[in-house]
Amino acid sequence: MRLFGAELLKLRTLRSTWGFGLVALAFGALVTAGDIGGSTELDRLDPELQSRIVLDAAFAVSILALLVGIILVTNEFRHGTIARTLLATPRRGRFVAVKLLTGAVAGAALFLLMLVVIAVTAVIWLGILDVPLAPGEAADGLWRALFAVVLAGTFGAAVGGAVHSQVGALVGALVWMFVLEPICWVVLGLLDLDSIAEYLPAASLGRLVDSDGGGDVPWLGASGAFLGWITVATVLAVLRTRRRDIT
Amino acid sequence: MIEVVGLSKRFGSTLAVDDLTFSVKPGAITGFLGPNGAGKSTTMRAILGLVRPNAGTTSILGQQYRELDQPVRRVGVLLETFDAHPGRSGRNHLRVLALAGGIPRARVDEVLSLVDLGQASRRRVKGYSLGMRQRLGLAAALLGDPEVLVLDEPANGLDPQGIRWLRDFLRTLAADGRTILVSSHVLAEVAQTVDEVVIIHRGKLVQQVAMAELEAMAAGSTTVRSPEAERLATLLAEADMGVRAVGDGRLAVAAPPEQIGEIAAANGVVLHELSVERATLEEVFLELTGEPGERGA
Repeated sequence: MRLFGAELLKLRTLRSTWGFGLVALAFGALVTAGDIGGSTELDRLDPELQSRIVLDAAFAVSILALLVGIILVTNEFRHGTIARTLLATPRRGRFVAVKLLTGAVAGAALFLLMLVVIAVTAVIWLGILDVPLAPGEAADGLWRALFAVVLAGTFGAAVGGAVHSQVGALVGALVWMFVLEPICWVVLGLLDLDSIAEYLPAASLGRLVDSDGGGDVPWLGASGAFLGWITVATVLAVLRTRRRDIT
Repeated sequence: MIEVVGLSKRFGSTLAVDDLTFSVKPGAITGFLGPNGAGKSTTMRAILGLVRPNAGTTSILGQQYRELDQPVRRVGVLLETFDAHPGRSGRNHLRVLALAGGIPRARVDEVLSLVDLGQASRRRVKGYSLGMRQRLGLAAALLGDPEVLVLDEPANGLDPQGIRWLRDFLRTLAADGRTILVSSHVLAEVAQTVDEVVIIHRGKLVQQVAMAELEAMAAGSTTVRSPEAERLATLLAEADMGVRAVGDGRLAVAAPPEQIGEIAAANGVVLHELSVERATLEEVFLELTGEPGERGA
């Protein structure tokens, strides 16, 4: 618990963390404005709209949580603070576990920030348009969004623990999500293996917050797949961190 | 108590530490000396569990570092590389360490004031001078009021007043029964502070010796040259004299020339040279580490 508290204090005492918080607020506002402003009058009356706003914003904030998770581990190696951290936490498996937990909590914190701005924007805007609020529908979206953002933060910390290089991990994660994995989707599609493509990391994360309900993989399957990727990254993180000499 | 037994560490093709064995006693300050690249930092990091040895064992207070309960409270560490995030204030850096180590927050202010960093503590670390960074590192090492201190080049960047403060402070801690290991590549820097020195070169132990003995080597060493150097060395050693072969049939003997001459005469050993050497501590150190030209490289 002490170590976890120290990790949270580390996050709180860096300006970059607050920068990520501001970006989460901006994402929440932009997605809400886009979804409400871009929908027809009839769509706005659909109770699912409010759930969709939360889920759409959650995907953007999941990417942010992933990056924060990566940074909270790789910062240690980039700035040489890893030695001091491991002197306080000499059991490296525990170090990785605390970082994963911190990644999860950082994701949840970003989600809460996003939620505040969505709530304020949506309540005011929908109120002006006389659209009734649908808390039940929104609540369903909320849990799924929170789950996805927490997992994304955890996954980011595991990736950071496996890669250690900050630039390598950040660039690698973004290139994988937005370049390499889409290429994999196309290649697997050509081979008639679309079902496999839906279990890849970005696809399964996307499915967790998919508001259309499209795709062949059920939500539970996507959750299992993404948890599997977290497990793989965590095993790599533990092995890599245990073996590394801190010179 | 710190113990290093048969420690070896290889990085690729470089053997950084080679079958190194020594121990550090409580209640004393032990200097860990060697030229740059001798393996001091690697050894210290192996003791602290930051580097995995290829062979051998290390222990602090009878346990491996990673087995210690609340290690921050038991072992204070200053590493040669700076280990605070540049974007965090010095005070917040220490708050994080205190929280992780289960140390009361009030102790942060105590150590900041102890190292005279109170004024600058709310500034971000990236604006600190080298001396301020070193003081912050010392504050981190002292945070847990530990029984053991492992300090890698602690005088780096400190001004003369700071060095004097550090020396007096370490003496006070040692008098309190704590175990202190201080590394340096300059003997003169630690000569006035340490009780014992562990000298290493190219990863190997050269000598573990009391500082007083090292000073005696410097002050009273006699060089003797004989065609029967080996026999003479045995005779002198039997008379409890410290003898080292220094090559070319020469011996460096920690005894006055009169005593050496008498033993040689009594045993019929021919002498070609008998002269008193008055070396400086630094010269003794360089001679022990073997290759003066490498210093400062």
